[in-house]
Amino acid sequence: MATVECRNIRKCYGELEVIRDFNLSIQDHEFVVFLGPSGCGKSTLLRMVAGLEDITGGDLLIGGARMNDRDPGDRGIAMVFQNYALYPHMTVRHNITFGLERTGVGKAEIERRLTPVVDALGLAIYLDRKPVELSGGQQQRVAIARAMIKTPEVFLFDEPLSNLDAKLRGHLRVEIARLHKTLKSTSIYVTHDQLEAMTLADRIVLMNQGRIEQMGTPEEIYSRPATLFAAGFIGTPNMNFMQFEVEGGALRDGLIHLPAPAGAQGQVTLGIRPGSVEVLPDAAEGSLPALVERDEFHGETRLVSLRCGTHSLMASVPAHMALQEGQELHIRLPEDKLHYFDTQTGQRLD
Amino acid sequence: MKPVTLILRGLLVLAALLVLLPLVWTLLNAFKTNADLLVSTPKLIFAPVWDNMDYVLGRRSVSRALMNSLVVCSYAVLLGAVLGVPAAYVIARIKNRATQEAQFFALSLRFLPPVAVAIPMMVIWLGLDMYDSRPALIITYMTITVSITIWLSVPAFERVPIAIEEAARVDRLGPYAVFFRIALPVAKLQVLSAIAFSFILVWNEFLLAMMLTTSRAKTLPIIASEMSQLGMSVPWGILNAAVVLLSLPPLILLALVGTGLNTAFSKKSSE
Ligand SMILES: Nc1ncnc2c1ncn2[C@@H]1O[C@H](COP(=O)(O)OP(=O)(O)OP(=O)(O)O)[C@@H](O)[C@H]1O
Ligand SMILES: [Mg+2]
Repeated sequence: MATVECRNIRKCYGELEVIRDFNLSIQDHEFVVFLGPSGCGKSTLLRMVAGLEDITGGDLLIGGARMNDRDPGDRGIAMVFQNYALYPHMTVRHNITFGLERTGVGKAEIERRLTPVVDALGLAIYLDRKPVELSGGQQQRVAIARAMIKTPEVFLFDEPLSNLDAKLRGHLRVEIARLHKTLKSTSIYVTHDQLEAMTLADRIVLMNQGRIEQMGTPEEIYSRPATLFAAGFIGTPNMNFMQFEVEGGALRDGLIHLPAPAGAQGQVTLGIRPGSVEVLPDAAEGSLPALVERDEFHGETRLVSLRCGTHSLMASVPAHMALQEGQELHIRLPEDKLHYFDTQTGQRLD
Repeated sequence: MKPVTLILRGLLVLAALLVLLPLVWTLLNAFKTNADLLVSTPKLIFAPVWDNMDYVLGRRSVSRALMNSLVVCSYAVLLGAVLGVPAAYVIARIKNRATQEAQFFALSLRFLPPVAVAIPMMVIWLGLDMYDSRPALIITYMTITVSITIWLSVPAFERVPIAIEEAARVDRLGPYAVFFRIALPVAKLQVLSAIAFSFILVWNEFLLAMMLTTSRAKTLPIIASEMSQLGMSVPWGILNAAVVLLSLPPLILLALVGTGLNTAFSKKSSE
């Protein structure tokens, strides 16, 4: 078990700087998820922690010791790769034990450690097969077993579930969560799937273009996104955004009239999640007239596209609420569910 | 079966016969007496005799050439593999200007007409007083085996997923262990077939051998070609026997590697 600390980490590929001034401190036992759009540098960062990629600048500390120049094998880490990366010429058993053999652990000890790992992942019947004779999900289980048996200080996962189909992904996600609960190893998990991030993470590190956009528990990031990017990235369906000009301490256009947050000036973007938009049958105090443009059935809920004055926004309503396209109705934007951002800087206001 | 399939099958059979019949014919003729050979209607049923084989195998020149061929080709292939396989791995894994040039150089060795190599080589070996010796031929053949091994092994190593090697590094393997324990075993079949191919090329090599040997170091192809000039008439039986002998090692090798290759390609790929 160990802490992981990144101090002013930079990474350049030639002229191109893909990570700049990255600072992060991960607690012992913590499960941290790096979340972000494709190309934001999540994998690069993880691979620098693993030692598979050189660190251009800054310090990486695992368990308090500087790791920048150590080989991957000497960092006390284990890694699970996106495409499993099992050794195709070895049996499942050998794949799992190979790393231990290399570290000089005795045969009896390996046998002793193999059993619980194999049982935990349900791999007992596959031990003598080659990786090609397994399905994707089984292969990834072997890869997790291979990482687990080493009892590493830090577990690293690089999009381990993204090659699997949706159902299996859910299954294995639960399994990883369960394993973390029992093993309690410090873990860093890279994904661009926010559901995975939300369900697994103690703390999400939301990244964008090589920087940390926001850091916090899933609840924090969801309920108080720090930037426009964070607000737009987290949450399905996406948050609605509306642009306003601040005039005399209020946001207003012909229809809408809302108090502006303290200190707001110039352009302000108002955000509200579709689930927070209240749809009312009749006009009420503070309600706004809106027109139904489209109605998508999503099973539990319907996602309704509305036009409200010059703005268009989505509302998520219970599926039994029947709405026709072209129908006029009223909506209310509850004040405690509104997020204000400075349009220019993207920073949260209030 | 559809008529199209039938026609295509027929074409395949025809093509196979085109390749196989001359080989079968050579094999049969190697065991015929001259009387059976020199008839206007070719005989399929005849009393096989070992005379031709005995003659070929009994000649001192043949046994010496056989030894020469085996020694020269084995060493050239062995050295070619020892140098070429690691070189191919480096070229496949480290992409920079130097390795790109090295890869092209290996390839360009194959573009060179053999005569252009033979004459300078002849002068060099004469100057070093090593003309008509096995070492001279081994080193000359190494240019062929190294370049072929590199050329065919680079794609073999490129097909080994990089993530596997990274996983191995996390499993505490150093660069040499990654090569010997992971990359080489995974690319094994393709690398072996590259090496086998280089063996077949030098085993069949004629021009360089002819120009670089006169007596002591003559290889089997040279001796076989000399047999076509025994006396006035062409000794068909003996010639055929020599050809059969010459073809055996490459065929055995091909059979060995061929089955390996077949299993490699029929298996589900791991990616
Ligand atoms: N070897 C390389 N040479 C140059 N640029 C690279 C190299 N590897 C990655 N990059 C760049 O670094 C940036 C970050 O890449 P990285 O693989 O870390 O993204 P990612 O967040 O993992 O994305 P994804 O979700 O698609 O895996 C990208 O813009 C990419 O183009
Ligand atoms: Mg990635």
